[in-house]
Amino acid sequence: MDERTRFLILSLEGETYAVPISRLLEITVPRNIQKDPNLTELFEGKFEFRGKLIPVLNIKKVLKLPGSIGTTLLVVKSGKGTLGVLVDAVTEILDTDQKPVPMPKGVINPSMQYYSGILRHKDNLVLLLNGDGLLP
Amino acid sequence: MMHSYLVFLLSGRLFGVRLHGAIEILPWRSSRSVPLSYSSVEGLIDYRGTIYPVFNIGRRLGMSGPGPVAGAPVQVETARSIILLEENKMLFGITVDSVVKMTKLEEPSAPPEKVQGMETKYFQGVVYDEDQEILILDFERLLHAG
Repeated sequence: MDERTRFLILSLEGETYAVPISRLLEITVPRNIQKDPNLTELFEGKFEFRGKLIPVLNIKKVLKLPGSIGTTLLVVKSGKGTLGVLVDAVTEILDTDQKPVPMPKGVINPSMQYYSGILRHKDNLVLLLNGDGLLP
Repeated sequence: MMHSYLVFLLSGRLFGVRLHGAIEILPWRSSRSVPLSYSSVEGLIDYRGTIYPVFNIGRRLGMSGPGPVAGAPVQVETARSIILLEENKMLFGITVDSVVKMTKLEEPSAPPEKVQGMETKYFQGVVYDEDQEILILDFERLLHAG
């Protein structure tokens, strides 16, 4: 049997991205985000999650996308701990046996490990976000 | 020694690419943009089961002119094509204004030192065909320049 993986499909400025469900802890609405001057400008502040304060990343700033701050907060496990990520919307869950296609050479500097591959979904290409590579 | 070339137009100039294998010419289609990619990357397209990076070589060459200019009318884009190529086992697409012809050409001679407004290091040379100047592209350099 082929191994199946579930991905959460999300949108940023009208384009689709994905994160593996195995990394997802919660989908919620951002509220009571506390400013923290110790965080870089890529973060909006901190958010209380299960009794702990976790940093909230504005992923549009990381990816240099225009537009306003996302209105949906994902809580994900990254290589550097639990992290909040602001996105525009979550659209659906993709349950698939696809293996993500590696990013072709010559597209992005290999030191920028923001994507762990490409998925196909409904005639679209979906960029799989690398939870461990997003943090500077 | 004659070789096969594909000749195309980009911003009013003729360019040639030497053909090593199969190529495909696709009508213009939008590609999936990749945030933080190199500036010459137009995006990704999925064609017959393969994901191709599409390069805007006009941008790499430092040319302006017709292309995806902000605020430009949509007709500009519908006039363009995407050529899918294989070079050194790398599959990729390039955006062109239009494909002119496939033809056999002589070996290119060294490119002029200066071609107006363009980076000449990306040319293998120049060929004259029916008195028209065709600049032959060096993809090895074009694609690895970052």
